[in-house]
Amino acid sequence: MTLPHHLQYHNITEAILGFAEYARSCELNVGIRESHEALEIVSTGLIENKQNFRFALKSLFCSSQENTETFDTIFDLFWGGEKAEIKSKIEYKNQSNIVRKSSGSLVMMNKGSSTVQEEEEGKNVSGANSTEQLRKTDFSKVSDIESEQLNKLAEDLWKQMSKRLRKKFRKSVTRGKLDLRQTIRSNISKGGEMLDLHYKEKKPDKNRLIILLDVSGSMDKYSFFLLRFILSLRSHFKHIDAYIFSTKLIRITEYLEIKNLQSVLEVLSHYADNWSSGTKIGECLSDFNRKFAKRSLTGKNMTIILSDGLDTGEPELLVNELQKVKLRTRRLIWLNPLKGMKGYVPRTRSMVAALPEIDHFMSAHSINSLLELENILYDAN
Amino acid sequence: MKEIESLKHSLDTLGYVADEELATVLFLMLHLKKPLLLEGHPGVGKTEIANVLAEHLQTELIRLQCYEGLDVHSSIYEWNYQKQLLSIKIRENSDASEAEKEKMIFGKDYILERPLLRAITAKEKAPVLLIDEIDRADEEFEAFLLEMLSANQISIPELGTIKAIHPPIVILTSNRTRELSDALRRRCLYHWVNYPDPEKELKIVRKRLPGIEEKLARQLVQVVQNLRSRNLNKAPGISETLDWAMSLNALGKHEIDASVIRATLGSLLKSNEDIERIKHENLSEILTGNL
Repeated sequence: MTLPHHLQYHNITEAILGFAEYARSCELNVGIRESHEALEIVSTGLIENKQNFRFALKSLFCSSQENTETFDTIFDLFWGGEKAEIKSKIEYKNQSNIVRKSSGSLVMMNKGSSTVQEEEEGKNVSGANSTEQLRKTDFSKVSDIESEQLNKLAEDLWKQMSKRLRKKFRKSVTRGKLDLRQTIRSNISKGGEMLDLHYKEKKPDKNRLIILLDVSGSMDKYSFFLLRFILSLRSHFKHIDAYIFSTKLIRITEYLEIKNLQSVLEVLSHYADNWSSGTKIGECLSDFNRKFAKRSLTGKNMTIILSDGLDTGEPELLVNELQKVKLRTRRLIWLNPLKGMKGYVPRTRSMVAALPEIDHFMSAHSINSLLELENILYDAN
Repeated sequence: MKEIESLKHSLDTLGYVADEELATVLFLMLHLKKPLLLEGHPGVGKTEIANVLAEHLQTELIRLQCYEGLDVHSSIYEWNYQKQLLSIKIRENSDASEAEKEKMIFGKDYILERPLLRAITAKEKAPVLLIDEIDRADEEFEAFLLEMLSANQISIPELGTIKAIHPPIVILTSNRTRELSDALRRRCLYHWVNYPDPEKELKIVRKRLPGIEEKLARQLVQVVQNLRSRNLNKAPGISETLDWAMSLNALGKHEIDASVIRATLGSLLKSNEDIERIKHENLSEILTGNL
């Protein structure tokens, strides 16, 4: 396939339209209106200087920072003098992209350990209702190819969920009820005519969510997805407090502010020694109670623990600390990815001991199971 | 191009150092009469662009600061309830019919103009309308904005549609805490404001603090540039650079060394973790730029 180039066109108008079409084919958001305005740019004389012309078209054809790189490449390609040199640049760029992505996911999901049988189970996901299937697929059984699809789907669904939840919460935050007593009182001076309306105070924000994510070795295949889930919740809830733990506890709330997953992972990779090691839930919870609970638990919030409950510490300690957390929280939810497995019964000593303290014990192995959380989050408000 | 050069020069005399790209985009915005969406890290001078542009065009700057829960009443218009109620009371015994009374109290005298309506109804000259931190407002609010941005008009149910006589020059800024809708993006020109390179930053420091010593200015720009490459929680923006320069000036320093950095780090970094981290690092590295 030959790449389009401005010398192929007879006049500047055709060339501009050709470039617009080319940009469109490269997934830039360019419509008829943009093409039209690009022609207008030519009439201003901006085209005299190539640099100005580039900047002008860039501001018109790009709609986010991510677009600018693509734009620069195709601009050089289309309006440049020599074709071959620039073409190799593109190939190089694509390559580097792919490498970065796969290494990013490799860090988190130890693909090496997956067995043949697991892979086969994962491959069953295809066909007409693949989306529906994908929603039910266990995170640990997702192949590399599907993980891309799954990420996208998950992002969309979680976004929708956060949006719905936020809308529901909004009602209670807009304005308090009319304070009749205060209204009458302050309007006596105006002859009893209701001119100034007084409202009761706004309800305080209640949707504070505390999330504790287990990132130990046994959770390896899930923690990446669950972190994504937390991240998407973060973009819509104002008050989320998040921690990761394995043998020690780390507060990651600050890092969630950086909305880009890649950069969050980069920051978290500083703590790589903590990631994928053994689990001491009890000790970590006690750490949480000692350092953070006073500040973040208000008695009205919800606490979510995301862990498989495969603990190496003492069950008594765990129960003890769970009770402390429960005293200061409205609901305690334990999401266990293993619960999604057929015939799973909590057998480990810690999990059995912890069960009586938990309000909701749910699975967290697929997109659908995480979406079920919505109802609980809503009820609690 | 001459126009762009003169625009650049004019902004320069007003104290804003604009690069070629920004000047081109601003020129284009004025020419195409399209809104401009500025994105970039906090503290790189997005809001300032609107300020100097208004000054350059010698027109009014109308600013709408967005926040979560911003609604029509605080951004476009609100009926003046008190005045309406009083008016009803006064006219209680008049002969006017119900319909007349109603028409009366939903007239233009009873409307409180908020920034967007004010921008649309400007009588003499097109104002610069700055919609600051649009990413903080809700998605619903974006939808309100769309009508205004694309058709330069606002609909008020009781009054009808108000069309702008002088369409405002709209600048939107966003810190990217939330992804904006495609519909909004498509109606705007887009420009990403990056951290300035050392030369540009040096120019800005000289421009804003004309009395600063050359050596000090060079050193401090170097330090700030080094800090930005350090993957901090919150990298220092240009406003922080200027703050720091001012505090160093106020302290009468002529040179930056490790102890000076330690003592004044608070005006540069705004998070405790960052400050602690940098303090424990080898400060001479940050000074010389050996990373």
